Amino acid sequence: MTMATEVKEVPASETRDQAAEDVPWNVVVHNDPVNLMSYVTRVFRKVFGYPREKAERHMLEVHHKGRSVVWTGAREKAEFYVQQLHSHLLLATIERSH
Amino acid sequence: MVLYEIDDGHLGMREILPVESELLRMIPVWADGETDDVEGRLFPSPATDEEEAELRADWQAHVEPDLQEFFRSTRQIVEADLRSMKKDEDGFVVEFSLQHAEAWLNALGQARLALATRHGFEEKELSGLGPREIRTERDLALFQIHFYEMIQHWLVEILDRREFGADS
Repeated sequence: MTMATEVKEVPASETRDQAAEDVPWNVVVHNDPVNLMSYVTRVFRKVFGYPREKAERHMLEVHHKGRSVVWTGAREKAEFYVQQLHSHLLLATIERSH
Repeated sequence: MVLYEIDDGHLGMREILPVESELLRMIPVWADGETDDVEGRLFPSPATDEEEAELRADWQAHVEPDLQEFFRSTRQIVEADLRSMKKDEDGFVVEFSLQHAEAWLNALGQARLALATRHGFEEKELSGLGPREIRTERDLALFQIHFYEMIQHWLVEILDRREFGADS
């Protein structure tokens, strides 16, 4: 008795999409002159559950350097965090982690 | 204007001057930005990478409507609270549930972003103490941004203390 093995070909676009999904993704918060520093710190604590010191460190990095990578991980979760940050009126984007 | 906490889980503002009451009533109005640049700031792109066109399209189709609805709901909460504003011998008074504080914080943020975007304020202008005189619509907008900022500071302080306790 032989077993037939079915080999499914994955379309090239799916392979590429999967590769993109697998890359770690950064959630980046960009500086804006309107949101208060105390408010931005609060949002980082609420959204990511960061302790005050870590949230303040990211807030200050945004303020002084114009941007801060606040989280890195799976793409789906990164998109979720960006949505959360947008709902709190922060300028946030996702990007590939290099 | 005096900002205060009530032990029963409410927050209040009293001794509100007529001009301040008008600025408060304008929160939901300003927050409901209609111009493209204001919309662009309230609904920013989720990616700067050119390759992410698909994500941007998905975002506009699926995420932005949810965000629009969320922002609208916060404005409606503030609008309803402001409808209860009354006048007494010391000025106007408005009290609202502590559970509405997040909605107030968000609606105030929307209004400040809309005003700042519409008038193109620079970081230097926004980080200062506000206008020394109010002669133009732009001066008034900067004054409004600072007035709303004062309320936001107060709300953040209260919410942080209640949610994060001693670590606030």
